[in-house]
Amino acid sequence: MFFRIMDKLRLPDLIDGLAESYEVIGPVAKGEKFVFAPIAGAEELRLDYDTTLLPPKTFFTPPTEPLMGFSMADSDVRSESLESPPRALFGVHPCDINALGLMDNVFLGEYEDPYYKARRESTLVIGINCKPRPECFCDAWGTDEVHSGFDLFLSDLGDRYFVSVQSVKGAELLDRFVETRPITAEDTEDFQRVTREFKASFSEKVDTSQLPLLIDAKYNDAVWEELGEKCLACGACSMVCPTCYCFDVRDRLSIDGATGERERVWDSCMFSNFAEVAHGQNFRGTRASRVKYRYYHKQWGYLSKYGRVLCVGCGRCENACKADINPRVVIKALQGGGVAQ
Amino acid sequence: MSTTTYRDLGANPYRPWPARITSIIDLTEKEKLFELRLIDETVREAFVHDAGQFVEVSVFGVGEAPISISSAPSKQGFIELCVRKAGDVTSALHSKQCGDIVGLRGPFGRGFPFEEMKGHDILLVAGGLGIAPLKSLINHIHDERHDFGRVTILLGARNPGEILFRQQFDMWKHRDDFDLIMTVDTPDASWDGEVGLVTKLFDRIEIDPAATYGAICGPPVMYRYVIDEMRKKNMDADRIYVSFERRMKCGIGKCGHCGVGHQYACIDGPVFNYWEAMNLQGAI
Ligand SMILES: Cc1cc2nc3c(=O)[nH]c(=O)nc-3n(C[C@H](O)[C@H](O)[C@H](O)COP(=O)(O)OP(=O)(O)OC[C@H]3O[C@@H](n4cnc5c(N)ncnc54)[C@H](O)[C@@H]3O)c2cc1C
Ligand code: SF4
Ligand code: SF4
Ligand code: FES
Repeated sequence: MFFRIMDKLRLPDLIDGLAESYEVIGPVAKGEKFVFAPIAGAEELRLDYDTTLLPPKTFFTPPTEPLMGFSMADSDVRSESLESPPRALFGVHPCDINALGLMDNVFLGEYEDPYYKARRESTLVIGINCKPRPECFCDAWGTDEVHSGFDLFLSDLGDRYFVSVQSVKGAELLDRFVETRPITAEDTEDFQRVTREFKASFSEKVDTSQLPLLIDAKYNDAVWEELGEKCLACGACSMVCPTCYCFDVRDRLSIDGATGERERVWDSCMFSNFAEVAHGQNFRGTRASRVKYRYYHKQWGYLSKYGRVLCVGCGRCENACKADINPRVVIKALQGGGVAQ
Repeated sequence: MSTTTYRDLGANPYRPWPARITSIIDLTEKEKLFELRLIDETVREAFVHDAGQFVEVSVFGVGEAPISISSAPSKQGFIELCVRKAGDVTSALHSKQCGDIVGLRGPFGRGFPFEEMKGHDILLVAGGLGIAPLKSLINHIHDERHDFGRVTILLGARNPGEILFRQQFDMWKHRDDFDLIMTVDTPDASWDGEVGLVTKLFDRIEIDPAATYGAICGPPVMYRYVIDEMRKKNMDADRIYVSFERRMKCGIGKCGHCGVGHQYACIDGPVFNYWEAMNLQGAI
């Protein structure tokens, strides 16, 4: 990695340069909230955004996605939808970039997913630093810092950006379109200061020590029943989560029945039929068992495979859940605090 | 370990390969035995499976279902699936004719540790449709019989009409290289064999726990009781193998449906040894 300094006034140059080769997507206002959406120019960007309603995963594994088309007459697969237009995701926060890294483990690991891979390869990721909201606890997982998975990362030093350059594409972009200069000792000092201030500004320290083991040891704890009582089984927590990847697969026929499509659709382990098998047997028929499974999988299941928990502390689920169930609440409940009413 | 054809061929793991149905045999009112032949020659030759692995079968326009391969790995060029009519895909499959084409992905999952089992006695316990994956193992053992000690097979079914592969097993009952005992919950006039749950048969058998590997497949309620009996006979937890059925949508560790405890049944299983399984929350 190498570093450059870019004056904030040069931001439109960067966006315009990107726009020559990519569809540029960035945070924009939607009412009082923010979403990632295509932008026409730098003036549409809201780089002061807190978080987006839906995470960037929508651009890599969309809510509904065709996997292939087939013809009914000869039961043959006719087409796969692997092509992906070049895109630049601009202004992604560290937690969300880290979340993509967790997705990569699943989709680019054993049995590589070609649809995800095509999008990942055709998408440039340009990160930006942020200010924690009260519900952010990325620092508890170490996902407040990001070391990989982006092309460029901009750290706001007030009048200028401290730019981390990680990919050839990122370097070329700066080279071609943006005036930058090398970093000085003063820039590095400012960068450290900004980082220190950021780390100090989290509202609450979430204690995650021994959490995966705790969740296993407390598998039969009454806490899960209490949480199950409250949960509405709406699945909102999984939909907004940048690290939830479960999906359903279904076939759809054309009106004349001659051809069809197989598509995948976001799914949630919080839905009642998620673990149902033939003859109505359901391995997780109760809401308590499903809340428990979601946390068990995110904290321990994923960790046992990839060495990291499947949460980046973005706080989206805290905003989405009508029943006040979220990792901070679950962690405290497991640590003996009970479920706050 | 088995070869994984998708990796070998660098193919899209979601894309099914066309396979022709070359034979359909009615087994019972609900189960049919299908023989399938992959149409592409390269794929057909690359397709090698372990006993206990499964495939995803596609009936286009309806969907996919995971089905265990019931033929032995040594039988190449064809695969055999024993399918119970349970829902959308399996019903659509039941309505297919010989010569029709379906889609096939796989083989997927971890099967039974055949090589590790060699040189040992084997105790197999199947309930109902659980015989489908175990049949692959039984046939594999049969093909390499001299590598194994005593082989005991306990089969349970609800009633005589539901016993799968009955003809084959009736024949085997009289052989001395397999000790085979069948039992039914509810006998009929034709039945002169054992009556009761499969666990009851443990009184009838003798095993040398230090030399024996166990394999179990059947309805979820069966596992706990059969394992109890094996443990009473002093078998080690890591020498008892169980095969789990869970809802599956991808078969390759992505869709999340088949979670058992901290593992996925599709890639970490469906076969687990009991030591692993007893440490999987919510498995048994
Ligand atoms: C590793 C493995 C190996 C297997 N091996 C075999 C085998 O060798 N032979 C065999 O016959 N079976 C086998 N099975 C079981 C088989 O996969 C199931 O019976 C499968 O569900 C059949 O698919 P289907 O589309 O016919 O049924 P589905 O249409 O999926 O229906 C099956 C049941 O699932 C539930 N269900 C499905 N969709 C929904 C929904 N949208 N909402 C609510 N409930 C729903 C219902 O309870 C229904 O009764 C195996 C399963 C696994 C995991
Ligand atoms: S579980 Fe909640 S806090 Fe953690 S990554 Fe998902 S949405 Fe964010
Ligand atoms: S935990 Fe909250 S958001 Fe998730 S399913 Fe339950 S009620 Fe919905
Ligand atoms: S079947 Fe999709 S993860 Fe196992």
